[in-house]
Amino acid sequence: MAHIPDGVLSFPVLVTGAVVAVGAVAVGLRRLDEQQIPRVAILAAAFFALSLFSIPIGPSGVHLMLGGMMGLILGLSVFPAVAAALLLQAVMFGFGGLTSLGVNIVNIALPAAIVGGALAPAVARATPARAAFLGGAGAAVSALGTGLMVSASLYLSSSDFAASSRFVAFSYAPLIIVEALVTGFCVSFVKRVKPELLAARAKRLTI
Amino acid sequence: MRLLASVLLAAYTLVASMAPAHAHRLRVFATVENGAVSGYAYFVGGARAQGATVLFRDGAGRTLHRDATDAQGVFRWTPPKPQTIRITVDAGEGHAATITLGAERFSGADDFNPGEAAARVADAAEPDGAELTDDVLAHIEKHVEAAVARQVRPLLEAYEAAEARLRFNDIVGGVGMIVGVAGAAMWAAARRKTKGTEA
Repeated sequence: MAHIPDGVLSFPVLVTGAVVAVGAVAVGLRRLDEQQIPRVAILAAAFFALSLFSIPIGPSGVHLMLGGMMGLILGLSVFPAVAAALLLQAVMFGFGGLTSLGVNIVNIALPAAIVGGALAPAVARATPARAAFLGGAGAAVSALGTGLMVSASLYLSSSDFAASSRFVAFSYAPLIIVEALVTGFCVSFVKRVKPELLAARAKRLTI
Repeated sequence: MRLLASVLLAAYTLVASMAPAHAHRLRVFATVENGAVSGYAYFVGGARAQGATVLFRDGAGRTLHRDATDAQGVFRWTPPKPQTIRITVDAGEGHAATITLGAERFSGADDFNPGEAAARVADAAEPDGAELTDDVLAHIEKHVEAAVARQVRPLLEAYEAAEARLRFNDIVGGVGMIVGVAGAAMWAAARRKTKGTEA
């Protein structure tokens, strides 16, 4: 869903997306702690592999994005992670275009980074059950944000897409539910097994 | 991090220069049978694109016909005359895919009666010296084309499916590339740290 191919978006939208993506990836890399490199790579690899598989739900089929999960654990480093994964998907499988790569990165990573930044301190303090709930809610908001941004990208490019923009918002509903469940389960698991994955970010934020 | 950025940039320019431009997540299969275009639109992974807009255009980009896919993602249309047909399926959400069928895929468009043609072939093949007229030859050709199209279609569909398949090797290769870039970055970071303590 979030893989917008070449030749769909208008030039201003593509340029805006590319500029924002390059800037955000640069900031994400600059902020990236050396010790965080493995977790960025692991989540990038998970996102790369999982979002290739679409489940036939609704009129087109959806795939997981793990935006909320990545945002919680990576913070701003979600940008380089998403950029690497989407670049590989585009060149290896033709999922999403190369000219629209910037827009696709921003559409997925920006809601994830915002949700992650907002929820990370609360999740770090919460009990596993509460963290699962917060993570699930964050994942839902992040997926919804991505859906809205995809719709906006299409709408700003051409009014022809107005109808299909509404269609996107509709078909994101199953994704949001699945995404929330999976992320809730993962956050609760991480919180039990390796809570410092979620705590480290909060510490860095409060400094 | 500057090293990581330059590694990423180098990888990007390398792969961008050899990227295939034709593949998308939504794909279209189409073939020609007896002058009729038929096919289906599907998402890689299996789901068919239902109710998607299908545009049939000629080589110059003029829209000839507009239709929608059915519940199985199938579309079918017979062009008025043999010509290059570009089929674009737009499933919304920015998912669009195009396939071009060259004019050479279409034979003549008039009606064809196999029984009559067979009778005429039999007549023409009588040993009394009657020759195969151009008319009869044309009918034979059309009959053969129809038979070949029918036989080849499963092959074309299998090829399309093979091309769109997500290969396990490719996925593992992508994961490996991410791990490799991360390893290079950690190596660079470790080297910088060692240098810092020596200085």
